[in-house]
Amino acid sequence: TISPTPQVLSLNMSTGMRRVGLTADAAREAGEDISRSTVACVRVGSTIMLDLVTDSPSGGTVRDPSSRLHLQSHKTTSLNCDPSSILSPGDEDEDGETFVELGAQGYSDLRFMDVSLSSRNTYESSRRQSAPGHIGLSVDSSELALHFFLCEPKSPSQNVPGWKLFGKVAARESPPKDSRTIQQESVPGGLTSVSAPNLLSEGEYEARAGKAGSGGTSPTQPQHGRRKNLDFEPLSTTALILEDRPSNLPAKSVEEAQRHRQEYDEMVAEAKKRELKEAQRKRKEMKERFKQEDSIANAMVVWNHDILPNWDNMRNTRRVRELWWQGLPPNVRGKVWSLAIGNELNITPELYDIFLSRAKERWRSFSETGTEADDGASLADRESSLDLIKLDISRTFPPLFIFQKGGPYHDLLHSVLGAYTCYRPDVGYVQGMSFIAAVLILNLEEADAFIAFANLLNKPCQLAFFRVDHDLMLKYFAAFEVFFEENLPRLFNHFQISNLTPDLYLIDWIFTLYSKSLPLDVACRVWDVFCRDGEEFLFRTGLGILRLYEDVLLQMDFIYSAQFLTRLPEDIDSDRLFACIATMPMLNGNKKWSQVSSSKHKKTGK
Amino acid sequence: MAKQYDVLFRLLLLGDSGVGKTCLLCRFTDNEFHPSHISTIGVDFKMKTLEIDGIKVRIQIWDTAGQERYQTITKQYYRRAQGIFLVYDITSERSFQHIMKWASDVDEYAPDNIQRILIGNKSDEEEKRQVATGQGNKLAKDYGMDFFETSASTNYNITESFTRLAEQVLAANKKDLDLLRASVTDELNLAALEEEEGITDGAAASQKGCWC
Repeated sequence: TISPTPQVLSLNMSTGMRRVGLTADAAREAGEDISRSTVACVRVGSTIMLDLVTDSPSGGTVRDPSSRLHLQSHKTTSLNCDPSSILSPGDEDEDGETFVELGAQGYSDLRFMDVSLSSRNTYESSRRQSAPGHIGLSVDSSELALHFFLCEPKSPSQNVPGWKLFGKVAARESPPKDSRTIQQESVPGGLTSVSAPNLLSEGEYEARAGKAGSGGTSPTQPQHGRRKNLDFEPLSTTALILEDRPSNLPAKSVEEAQRHRQEYDEMVAEAKKRELKEAQRKRKEMKERFKQEDSIANAMVVWNHDILPNWDNMRNTRRVRELWWQGLPPNVRGKVWSLAIGNELNITPELYDIFLSRAKERWRSFSETGTEADDGASLADRESSLDLIKLDISRTFPPLFIFQKGGPYHDLLHSVLGAYTCYRPDVGYVQGMSFIAAVLILNLEEADAFIAFANLLNKPCQLAFFRVDHDLMLKYFAAFEVFFEENLPRLFNHFQISNLTPDLYLIDWIFTLYSKSLPLDVACRVWDVFCRDGEEFLFRTGLGILRLYEDVLLQMDFIYSAQFLTRLPEDIDSDRLFACIATMPMLNGNKKWSQVSSSKHKKTGK
Repeated sequence: MAKQYDVLFRLLLLGDSGVGKTCLLCRFTDNEFHPSHISTIGVDFKMKTLEIDGIKVRIQIWDTAGQERYQTITKQYYRRAQGIFLVYDITSERSFQHIMKWASDVDEYAPDNIQRILIGNKSDEEEKRQVATGQGNKLAKDYGMDFFETSASTNYNITESFTRLAEQVLAANKKDLDLLRASVTDELNLAALEEEEGITDGAAASQKGCWC
């Protein structure tokens, strides 16, 4: 017996709101083709392309432009690739809006593939008399692509039943089926399928066709087409679909056929269930998004009209603090950050201009002479600082492509960092600063970004880190460990045993204020509350992250944990993270963060 | 469960900012190359398992930030390593000169039997070369190190240099290794000898590859 290595393929097509099947012969034809094709490549990218090329009656291959479908799928990283995709139907007219869904169950195990095409209008992508010589189906989305390519033109002399994808047109010369039939046909399954497996035996096929046909038209019709086909050219694929075995082999037993049919039905049912579930999920997602947008819009009004005009009176009220915790609306974010960070250093935009022009002067003289006027600091250090800024700018959020050379914010970032090194030569440029400046530039005007940047870096914790005052840093780490042990004793213990010290992950987190390790939107939300609560919140966020991933981290050894913590998952959910942060009261006994950290500073202080 | 490795040790990448430490590492562990990589802040981690003379060697690689300022931090990690890459950029004379500084820091802070190797990266950028191959060779010889010119971009000499350093570390720890091999314990773990993380590898190994 031939072991059934099933490549079940189902094509679902619908017209209007109804899901409509292919005419039986079309189904068979499509099925034949697909089953004849081979999966050449499996990969997921972000486009799905479906290319249908049919042979013209004269025998030449015709590439029907209207049957070329380009789908742009959203990226999906899940193993069950199910990008529901919008499809631009080439030169279709305006109501030829088409959707294609493709779901592949299993990642490595691509047993079941479900392709569904639906079109608001009839989408006729076949030709009368189409001998399906060529179907190229190439799916390219970010993890999985499937290339079907097949070219096996049939003899043009053959009277091959036509096939159509959507619909109304009876594309055949032999007794046609009308669209009514097609619709009826689709009812039993709910979901219509073209199957191209060797799972589907002839009997089974006929049974299905018969069942479908019982709604109105001749149930024998499909048989017709098949027989004709077989007479001329017993294609292996025909055999696969329509016969239980290739004709030179004995037929399937009834039980086997029965079983295969059952398996097939189960797969279809499964696919349908998945589809429904997916639709539900999407509806929920949309609802969630609308809700979110609403609340952002509301919050924006509140911040702009109530809070900001009365900043000093309101900033510490409970209501404002709560709103703040929920995340600032993006367009008041910069303003609130500025206000919260303050301007202890009394930097004015004019002062910024002065430092900026000084920096520019320095760059100029440096690039002209290769050296610069020596004014104290070591030449090599200055030189490397200038070079390093240049180098790091291009390495700041590279995926955003806005800070890189030629990007819109490249010069801005360069200016802010350059001005800072002139303003604070004692601190200079330290790696990690470029990320902080970049986040500020994304939210504030240039001079305001500089003012916030300089004031932010002037806070004790940031000063300790950016001066790389190792002793002071160790004290911060020690204070962090006190709260770590208090709040997450199991994980703390686990890390101790694996010798995973907090410096290994905190350095990255604190230096960049999480902007490198967390997704940018989540990082901004951390910044919101950091601006409100100060350094304590940075360490509290660290605990929140550890809490969020406690279970996975407990299963990991040193290297996996270290890798995990320095490259946090990109799909980290800010609400879940903040819920975890909220469960981390920064209390050790009755001591607060400031007390614990200052006692550390005193105890071992120098 | 099946052992994932026989020996575990740590290698450290040192060298100026922008010489391509992270790129070397990405090429080695993931066979990827991104010309503009995000800056490394503090230290980053990767690992890979190699087979050398029939021994499965898992190497953890610690990738450090290159800025001089960070050296106060990264020096703390030298003592936890068994092997060190000293990396310069053949298109940057300065990064080559700094190798001496890096090497003397290693002498000062790293364990005595630390293995070192000199890497001149970006060998594909021949037209911008500022450091002749001979210079690299000579320096390596003076320090008693092996020397490779590499290119993360073209994948030239990457595996070779990582394997070489791993072999050296293996050879340097041969005594311990033979001891362990002779003993009945089935877990050879150099790092475990050094009081670190001899635990829970089974659990972690089962998730191999998930968190990279």
